[in-house]
Amino acid sequence: MTREHPGLFLAPAAVTLGAVALFPALAVLWLSLEERSPLLAAARFVGFDNYTRLIADARFWNALANTVYFSAVSVALEVLLGLLVALLLARAFRGRALLYSIILLPWAIPTVVSARLWEWLYNADYGVLNYLLGTHVNWLGSPGWALHAAILMDVWKATPFVALLLIAGLQTIPRELYQAAALDGAGAWTTFRRITLPLLVPLLLVVLVFRTIDAFRVFDAIYVLTGGGPANSTETVSIYAYKVLFQALEFGYGSAVAVSVLAVVALLTAVYARLLRGSMT
Amino acid sequence: MTNHTPGRNCLIVAVLLLAALFGACKPSGEESSSHPPVVVFKHSKLFGDPRPLAQLLAEFERANPGVRVRAETLPAASDAQHQYYATNLAAGAADFDVFALDVIWVAEFARAGWLRDLSHLLPAAEREAFFRGPIEAVTWEGRAFALPWFMDAGVLYYRKDLLDKNHLAPPRTWDELLHAARTVTRTESGVHGFVWQGKQYEGLVCNALEYLWSHGGEVLRNGQVVLDSAANRAALTFMRELLTSGVTPEFVTTLTEEPAREIFGRGAALFLRNWPYAWRLFEQQGSAVRGKVGVSALPHFIGGKSAATLGGWQLGVNRHSRNPQAAERLAQYLTSPAAQKVLALAYGYNPPRRALYEDPELLAAQPFFAELRAVYERARPRPVTPQYVRLSQVLQAEFSGAVAGLKSPSQALIDAQRQAEAILR
Repeated sequence: MTREHPGLFLAPAAVTLGAVALFPALAVLWLSLEERSPLLAAARFVGFDNYTRLIADARFWNALANTVYFSAVSVALEVLLGLLVALLLARAFRGRALLYSIILLPWAIPTVVSARLWEWLYNADYGVLNYLLGTHVNWLGSPGWALHAAILMDVWKATPFVALLLIAGLQTIPRELYQAAALDGAGAWTTFRRITLPLLVPLLLVVLVFRTIDAFRVFDAIYVLTGGGPANSTETVSIYAYKVLFQALEFGYGSAVAVSVLAVVALLTAVYARLLRGSMT
Repeated sequence: MTNHTPGRNCLIVAVLLLAALFGACKPSGEESSSHPPVVVFKHSKLFGDPRPLAQLLAEFERANPGVRVRAETLPAASDAQHQYYATNLAAGAADFDVFALDVIWVAEFARAGWLRDLSHLLPAAEREAFFRGPIEAVTWEGRAFALPWFMDAGVLYYRKDLLDKNHLAPPRTWDELLHAARTVTRTESGVHGFVWQGKQYEGLVCNALEYLWSHGGEVLRNGQVVLDSAANRAALTFMRELLTSGVTPEFVTTLTEEPAREIFGRGAALFLRNWPYAWRLFEQQGSAVRGKVGVSALPHFIGGKSAATLGGWQLGVNRHSRNPQAAERLAQYLTSPAAQKVLALAYGYNPPRRALYEDPELLAAQPFFAELRAVYERARPRPVTPQYVRLSQVLQAEFSGAVAGLKSPSQALIDAQRQAEAILR
């Protein structure tokens, strides 16, 4: 092999990435500039028409608001609870490995399966949740509760993931720092605020990136639990995109909805990346 | 997606038609020796023994020497099938000839130009042999684009034993249903009055239309949106009242067909709105309500007429089929009285042909066919428009808002009217 062609070695990776990531993304971007619907025999370039339609679409804004609310509340709860669990479990104790595998179970179950499970728990007629609480709440069928029911399921599912990452992070903090703090007479709260938290910040940001992006694209859990109802009160942007793309078969407009999700996620990632760079220096 | 222009489409169609023409002109014996024409029949997965259908197809091959049939199944999910057919037909696919269409797709596919005009297979006498609803559903701009294969319509199930105990007759009006439900639930603990399908999905539209229609209301009249009407307001208000009065549990807003059937099936409801499929399940061995269930047409408002939403499947012929004559013969054969009787006996599929509801063998196997006939005479298709899917998404959300109490019925109808007008403009 001559030194003149290092690109040759990169080619397989570049071609694969291009085929599976770049090409589909560009194709969707291009589709979003077209009016394309097999039902209307339409396939023509319309520029930004789909985006102007998006801006005037009340159902899109409702879906976006639902998605932002869902993401903000569930990610905040997951990180807080995950941190709490991590602090409790980070210390060495007998049976720790077993406990780790047990708390990871919710994360390991496929979302569609756990959504079915929660559908039963939430069942207003004979569900366990109403039985335990002694209530008759219509969890999945009332506009006030349904989105919160979906949030609770997401928190149940993702908290173990957050906790496990943070446990790993806690174990990288040098013991000596804690010993020194103890010698200086720092209490538990001060130690947490001055040592644990600052050293966890980079990892916390990584966790936030993962969880926010994941929550923003939420589809499967809500598709199974409510399908977007009642009265679109749980319709997220991904659910809306699905209904436009795969039910109404409006490929152009549906792609514009999907691209808008991509844009928001890219924006969020950029903000987090900036914060992350700041926290590292 | 393949990129195609109308010009190229025409060329493809022309070539295919020419090929079909030459194919048809050749002596059939010569063709069967090397390439027997294969008619591909696509339909959704059957629940039950596949043999009766296979036997029907084999019989067709015997009656049409030189023609081979290959049946291919698609997943049962209606959305997935819709997507499959639309993307393939839009790309001019010719690898299937006869296929099963949901009742709500016919106008959509006919307008897109994907279906062969089958009007010549449905002359006036033949149209009379079918119920009116399915014939309306397969008709687009005066031409028939599919043949009704089997049908469904909303019916009311009731608990004979509980009504008898309280000296009540099966309700004919919605008020009578309300009264009966209140009377019975006062003494029977653990029994809901009336369950139906109130989740935000296609089934809610099917349910709601039955109230609208039985009050004389409509969604479209001569192509115009007429959602915001006094009749529709009263009908939708009644649906909400079913919940506020406690006759229908609040959680009906989470119910689809199966959960609702399950509640009635374990004896926890007096009335149920569902499709005819539930009957066989209520009457099977081990069912908690076996022998206690009655079926009737859905109630109506005073001054209105009982209405039922039509469901079911039709057979269409792909316009790009390479064997259109053989494909038409297959569609005709599978929708013949003999074939529909076999499907009814083997799979419980309800035939859209009137005469079969007097067939002694079928009546013996399905005693409630006699009651069903009256319901099917009145079954109505959902609004027949090529924009049905988008219209339905609007109706699902707005009806759901009214039923769940998020907005008033009149506001929901005003909002639905505005959005529907924008879609059908």
